[in-house]
Amino acid sequence: MEDLCEKCEEIMQPYLDRELSDEERREAEQHLAGCGFCARRYRFEDSLRKFVRKCCEEPMPAELKAKLAALRTPL
Amino acid sequence: MSEITRDSEPRRLAAEARDRVRFEEEALDLADQVYRVARRLVSTREEAEDLMQEAYARAFRSWRSYTPGTNLRAWLLRILTNLNIDRARRRQRAPLEQPLEEGDYFLYNKLEQASRDGNVDEERVLERLSQDDVVGALSAVPHDFRDVIVLVDIGDFTYADAAQILDIPIGTVMSRLHRGRRILKGELADRVGEA
Repeated sequence: MEDLCEKCEEIMQPYLDRELSDEERREAEQHLAGCGFCARRYRFEDSLRKFVRKCCEEPMPAELKAKLAALRTPL
Repeated sequence: MSEITRDSEPRRLAAEARDRVRFEEEALDLADQVYRVARRLVSTREEAEDLMQEAYARAFRSWRSYTPGTNLRAWLLRILTNLNIDRARRRQRAPLEQPLEEGDYFLYNKLEQASRDGNVDEERVLERLSQDDVVGALSAVPHDFRDVIVLVDIGDFTYADAAQILDIPIGTVMSRLHRGRRILKGELADRVGEA
């Protein structure tokens, strides 16, 4: 039930960010195992973060690395 | 000057030069990872490149203030984010106030609705968004919120590291993340609507 998931709302973000203590994580996992609504939201949030991360990857241009190396103090 | 002091001075200088070279090499080894974060703190590649050069020039000048054994990537990003915040202040961008009455389910519901299927797989729902949609949506998030999202979600920093880098309390990192992600989802939902 959505109304009963206030606690989940509170812990969803730190759970996804791996910031909960072991005990809190166990509590969150126990809740997710028994609540289809929260489990579904959790999967969506998790996929969204991975997707954003993948879309935002852009390798550093090789010439920038050379420019940075040139900033070193001469020996 | 005693004999011992005269002898030890060249050794001290040589040791310092070795430490500096080691610092510079370690900092350069981390450049790809620092760039990955820098690139998403600003809108364009040119800005990211300028910011990287400014940050590395400053890091190389102030290498003595780095404590060996601590998180060098976080130290470099602290310099870089401070420079970026100064630049943003110079541009005097007004803080963006956005209504946030939508729930966290807003994006999901909108994507789901757009897919015209009441029971779609979560990962497939995201396929409706292009890479440009995501990059554009992230750029549209006001920088105070975007900075924490980029550090935690793209830079993989802990809340504590992000708090130290941005010099804000952990509670502020958490609230900005929460609000920033909601803004991001709103921006993404707008782009799904445009598709």
